[in-house]
This record gives sequence, structure tokens and C-alpha cells, in this order.
Amino acid sequence: MLFLQQLRGELQKLLARPRTWIGYGAFLIMEALILFVYKLERSQQHMRGIIERNGLEFGNYYSSLTITFTIMLLSMFLLGSIYFALVAGDIVAKENEDGNLRMVFSRPISRLRLLLVKYTAVSLYTFSFVFFVGITGYLMAVAAVGWQGGLFVMEPKMKVFAAYPEWWEGASRLTLSAAGIGLSMITLSSIAFMFSCLKIKPAAATIVTLTILFVDMILQNFPFFKPYESFFITWRMSSWIFLMEQNIPWPKLTESYALLGGFNITLFVIGWTSFQLRDFKT
Amino acid sequence: MLEINALRKSFGGKPALRGLSFSIGKGEIHGLLGHNGAGKSTTLGIILGMVMADSGEVTIDGISVSSHRSQALRKVGAIFEAPAFYDYLSGWENLRILMGYSGGFDATAAQKTVEEVGLTQRIHSKVRTYSHGMRQRLALAQALLPEPNLLLLDEPTDGLDPEGIKWFRDFILNLRDSRGMTVLFNSHLLAEVELMCDRVTILRQGELVFEGAIDGLCEETDRFTADLDCWEKAMPVILSLGGNMAAPGIIQIPHGSDPSILLAALVQAGIKLRSFSPVRRSLEDVYMELLEGKKM
Repeated sequence: MLFLQQLRGELQKLLARPRTWIGYGAFLIMEALILFVYKLERSQQHMRGIIERNGLEFGNYYSSLTITFTIMLLSMFLLGSIYFALVAGDIVAKENEDGNLRMVFSRPISRLRLLLVKYTAVSLYTFSFVFFVGITGYLMAVAAVGWQGGLFVMEPKMKVFAAYPEWWEGASRLTLSAAGIGLSMITLSSIAFMFSCLKIKPAAATIVTLTILFVDMILQNFPFFKPYESFFITWRMSSWIFLMEQNIPWPKLTESYALLGGFNITLFVIGWTSFQLRDFKT
Repeated sequence: MLEINALRKSFGGKPALRGLSFSIGKGEIHGLLGHNGAGKSTTLGIILGMVMADSGEVTIDGISVSSHRSQALRKVGAIFEAPAFYDYLSGWENLRILMGYSGGFDATAAQKTVEEVGLTQRIHSKVRTYSHGMRQRLALAQALLPEPNLLLLDEPTDGLDPEGIKWFRDFILNLRDSRGMTVLFNSHLLAEVELMCDRVTILRQGELVFEGAIDGLCEETDRFTADLDCWEKAMPVILSLGGNMAAPGIIQIPHGSDPSILLAALVQAGIKLRSFSPVRRSLEDVYMELLEGKKM
């Protein structure tokens, strides 16, 4: 009960900061831009080519579900990661920089509990943000092309191709994939959170996290590393796309998410150890 | 109430505390004095478990801070110089969040405390709109909400105007008188310490220079203010006992001698004494003397 009260306070702080809302605003603008592009004749011709080349009916698959999927596929790793790293990188380091931790440490709360509260808040923010993008993207797409139609999925890099002609089937797969993206992105927040627990500036925690993410992505795309791609954290984070396959490969997904979960716990323990051993001068 | 025993702490090999020990009794207002870098903030940090001591121990009501921090700090409140609140939230929201870390928020108790510190009108405004004095009142409210037995004040009156300083002093003195609260008061404002504290601990480079009552510290043992009827008759008596007149109305006796011998001799010589009391120096004079004396 007390944990929930502390979590409520942490979320209140998180949501009261203007920088938390920058991400929401940026995504709304980006979604509007993507929809604008989708409404262009040339863009529709391009989509028609892809869908019809796969023997599917353009009218059914050029839909709000397909557009929402595309928005999430294209934007989460590149744009979303910036805001997750920003929020998680700030959550401890910023309070230390601003002197708020002095006030907190005059309270009988343990450092471990404080970090657990903050980590839970960051994870909830990350997870819910993905759903925010999905829901707002879908609502905008509905306004643009209507609610009906199925879901067309094509992701050549992870070799996933699927088509769901029925709306309910596509919508449930999209919801499932949003949960998968949310879980994947918690790993990115965990990296930033760990750096935030170290004795560094909040901006440094954000920049180092994004550097790690982008270096991992770049190296993963090198032909030399192709046989080893599953060793890269961003490849594991991309495993959510397997939720879109007709027959979901649960063993593959379980392996990836177990690895990500273990990685998250390791990051938390490293951050906590550093935080626990530090002196905080008054 | 608070026991500090043989605390040692170094930062990067540089000693900040060198075996510091002192204690504070229940209901006492205790001043912690020393130049910058003397180890005052480090001491407060160790009391709150924010800084880990290399060795030594702090106990609050007999509970060790290093091994049972949460239990030891359950009835402790603290105020820091320039308290850093969440500026983007209201004072009330700040109290709610901070009390969440202290075992729960009680709105009725919070309202009462807010009234007590005189912040009712602005408690729902954003903290970023608060003046320094209002922030200190909010800091006082958050420190008082856990109903502390021990209050740690780190430069709490810095930056306050004279009216604010007086209000703060009166408030703390009233807390001691009405609730028997124990207070550790770290300040550079020696006049404030003198007005508020019963006892002081003076540190220099992490070492204890003095610990004891302010009265004993400020009263001189060999200079006395005397009001007597005839100085011409008194001077030979004073001189015969090795004393002299240090300043008009002030008698200096040899260091270590008993003033009652002089008093008896003056009375025996038929001199009428209206008053005779030790010269009282300011805490500032004593403080400078102690710290400079140690240097030599």
C-alpha cells in the first residue's frame, strides 16, 4: 500500500515535468505528418504496389490498422528511444543534481526501495507511452481512412510477413505487438536508468544510453555481424515483431524476453550497487 | 537522544572527520559550529545515513543509523540550507510526496502543520512561486510532519530577513518548550546560536575543539564586572592579591585564582559591593579564540 503511495508520488512528479510531455507532443506531430504522407496519391500508389504484389486486396489492407502498425514500426526505435532515454536518464540523476535527493534522504526510506519505486515508474511510463502512440495513431488513422479493414504486416529485416483480413484479428495482433514493443523498450529505459544511478549528469545518462542503442543498431547491420545478430540487444528488442506472425513462435519470443528481463535486472543491480555505495553530501 | 561516537570519514584520502564524538540530550538545542570544511555537513550527512562513515557510530534513541537507518530516522526531521523542493509541484503536493517516504500522508495532520508554520494561503501554489522565507516554512512543515523527536537544522536561517530569522528562532524555541523536541542546529550565525542553543560543539578540521554549555563557554574565569562604592579603597586590596583593573569597572585576577578570596578581602576592607559577576564574552569572540588558539 505504501509502495503504491510512493509510486503515485513518483508518477505525479514524472507527469508534472514539461520534458515528459515533449515526447507526447512530438509523436502527435509525427503521426499527423505520416498520415499526411499516406494521403498523398504517390504514397498510396506505392502502398498499392506492395500490397497487390503480395496478392492482397489494396482496399481491405490500406487501413487504419496497417497505418498504425507502420507508425509504430518506424518510429518507436528511432524517435521513442530519445524520450525513453531522456525520462529514465533524468529520474535519479536530475533529482541529485537539483538537490531533491537531500530531502528524500532525510526520510526513513531505503535506497533500494527508492530505486524500485523510480524504476517501476519509468517502466510504467515506457509501457504506457507505446500504447499512447498506438491509440492516438489509430484514432488519427481512423479519422483519415475510416476504421474498417484488415492488417498488413511486412518487415523484411526480421523476415516477418502476415495479413489479417478481419478487423478484430488485426486489432488484437496490433495490441499484442504494442505490449511487446512496450516490454522491449523497458530495456532501453533500464540502460538509461542504470546510468542515471551513477555519479553523472542527467544529460550524460541520456546521451550514453542513446549512443549504446545506436552503436548496437549500426553494428548489427554490418554484414560481418549477420551470423551473430541475435547477440545484439536491439535484435532482441525487435523480437516483438514475431508476435505478428500467423503462428507465434513462443519459444523464440520467450528466449528473447527472458534475456531482456535478465539484462534489465542486471542493469538495475549495477545501478543500485553504485547508488547504495555513494555518499550524498548535504 | 543523539550519540555520536568516534566518527571517522575521509573523502579521497583527505580526512573530514577525525574520531568525532559528542552527544545531545533530550530536549536540548545543540549548536554545531566550525569554519567551512570543518566537517559539520559531513556529520549531518552521517546522522541521516546519506554519507557512510569509515568507522564510528551514530545512534538516535539508542538505534544505530548504520545498521537500522529506517527505524532510527522514523522520528527525525531535517531542514537544509536552500531546501530543494519539486518546484513544478505545489507545496501541498510536495508534502504528500515527501511524507510518502516517511510512512504515509495524513491530510489532517498536514493541514494542521501547514497552519502552524503559517503557509495556509499559499500551500496550493507552485513552489517555484515561493519566496525564500516561504520555502523555509515549507521545509519546516515537511520536517515536522513525521512528529519528530529530533530536528536537524543545517543553516536554516541563511538568506532569511531579520523578521524571518526571529520568527524561525521563536518557532524552534517554542517547539523545544512545548514538545520537548531535541534540535541539532548547524549555523554560521553565531549570534543566533547564542540566542537559541543550550550547548555547542565546535569543530575544526574534523576534530572536536569544544563541547559544552554556552554559559560556561562565554563566561570568563579571571575577569569580573564589579560595582562597588569606592574604587580608591578597593585598588590596594586588588593589587595585593595580584589583580588589577583591566578596564573601568572590570577587575582581572591572576589566572586560576579563586575569586571568592578577593570578594572576602574586599568585604573585610569595608568596601560595599553592589554586584560582582564574570565578564560575559560573545560567542563569536570565544569561537574565534578557540579556533585560533588551536592553530597555535
